[in-house]
Amino acid sequence: MKWWLALVMALLLGMPAQAERLVSQLSNDNIEITSSFDGERMNFFGTIMPDAGSDQKFVTGPFHVVVVVLGPTQNRVARQKTNNFGVWLNTDQVEFDNFPSYFHVLSSARLRDITDITTLTTEYILPEAHTLVANDAGWWKTAVFGRELVRLMTEQGLFGVNEGGVNFLSDNFYSARLTLPSNAPPGPYIALTYVFKDGQVIARKSEGFAVRKIGFERFLALSAVQQPLLYGLVCVVLALFTGWLGGVLFKR
Amino acid sequence: MQVYLPIAELSMNLFFLVGIGGAVGFLSGLFGVGGGFLLTPLLIFSGVPAPVAVASVTGQVVAASTSGALSHYRRGGIDLHLAMYLVLSGVLGAFGGVATFAVLRDAGQLDLFISVGFLVLLGFVGTLMLNEAIRAIIKQRKGVVVRERLPNQHNWMHRLPMRVRFKKSRLYISVLPVLIIGLFIGFVGSLLGIGGGFIMVPALVYLLRVPGNVVIGTSLAQVVAMMAATTILHAVQSQSVDIMLAFCLMVGGTAGAQFGASAGKHLRGEQLRGLLAILVLAVAIRFGLSLILAPADPFSMAVLGGAR
Repeated sequence: MKWWLALVMALLLGMPAQAERLVSQLSNDNIEITSSFDGERMNFFGTIMPDAGSDQKFVTGPFHVVVVVLGPTQNRVARQKTNNFGVWLNTDQVEFDNFPSYFHVLSSARLRDITDITTLTTEYILPEAHTLVANDAGWWKTAVFGRELVRLMTEQGLFGVNEGGVNFLSDNFYSARLTLPSNAPPGPYIALTYVFKDGQVIARKSEGFAVRKIGFERFLALSAVQQPLLYGLVCVVLALFTGWLGGVLFKR
Repeated sequence: MQVYLPIAELSMNLFFLVGIGGAVGFLSGLFGVGGGFLLTPLLIFSGVPAPVAVASVTGQVVAASTSGALSHYRRGGIDLHLAMYLVLSGVLGAFGGVATFAVLRDAGQLDLFISVGFLVLLGFVGTLMLNEAIRAIIKQRKGVVVRERLPNQHNWMHRLPMRVRFKKSRLYISVLPVLIIGLFIGFVGSLLGIGGGFIMVPALVYLLRVPGNVVIGTSLAQVVAMMAATTILHAVQSQSVDIMLAFCLMVGGTAGAQFGASAGKHLRGEQLRGLLAILVLAVAIRFGLSLILAPADPFSMAVLGGAR
């Protein structure tokens, strides 16, 4: 009997009093890198609605929305220089496997006002959360090097937290804007949207978009990998031709 | 105006790239060096990943040296026979250099090796050249007629076996030192992303005693051929040659090289060598300081697995 009671209790407690869902959209799901690519502006917008099938007519806030944009993962290494007998050398390094190459957080308020640190960490909303994974280097070195790696990525514009990047236009309609930098690595991206109410995630949605090279840039990048010998030869011919042409044009 | 570099995967200002290509091209035309030893560090400081910078600069060096080599060729300033020996051994050395490059990059010691390599090489060559140039200038001021090389003025290198006659250089010397110089420059050049002209010129002058009128032309011809081979090697092995980046640099470089070459005609040989020595030493000191001074940021990061 006890397990039965426990199950009922769990169901009763676990069931939210209200259920909301998120309807959201990205402004562009395909970002094309062309020769004049100088970053791209993206818009995220959505509305929080009563869940399908529920009797609710309207939703009651206040809500907070956090949008996390994740780029393709890479294996990164953070290195530290130390002074050895007067010479600065790279002496220590920690590898972070499957580390996001791009990570930006947009939120409608300060993250620590939205929810607690545990939720932020377990939901991978904080940049540091990506460094808190099991690593052969040990937890202390991982934490130190992870913090520095996040700082370096932030300096490159690849990581960032924009508290206030999400604007509520009405009680339940939000929009957010993100500018992808020109050094955003090509590949599959994921935009994760979390809706918070009273510090709890009440709805979430993930959408994918792709950053791709197209046209001539795509052709060049593909040839460099698929036809490296031909690509190298073309480079040399181009160099010889440019050099020769320069000599002819400026001949005096 | 921004231009997207497909291999470096970032966009840079077109005028900036053409501009630094032109500035370095001017110096390369002036001194008869490829200019890679200036361009590679400049690009790395501008945010281009080091492997892409090294590999793409090899392409730019080909272009910048081609126009110079052609004009020297028309003037008859190239010893093709000597250049051929240097190129053959240089390409062999480049194979070794490109392979070592990959090993060092994965070990995380490429930065250190590049710094120490530049420091030792540039410091040594720069000091030698400056010393020689100052002596020549002082002698000339005193009114001493600087003696031209005498045909029978030989050192121990000329007594080695396997002697070959290089007609244009008026030399009858062993090919062993020639091959060793080529091998060394091929190795170091592909590793550090430099043409090696600044090592080649003094090596030809002081070690092989090649006469001044064919030194720069022969060095340029060797740089063109060897860097062309290195570009292909980098394209095949690390796939980090960015043709857009290289092309922007080439356009600036070839234009700059023409102005440099005509500016060089107004300067005397020892003055040119003195200026080049100062430039080489400045770069060496810059690298030396980076080893000794506390770095602004002791931490750095890199992407593992593949050049990009």
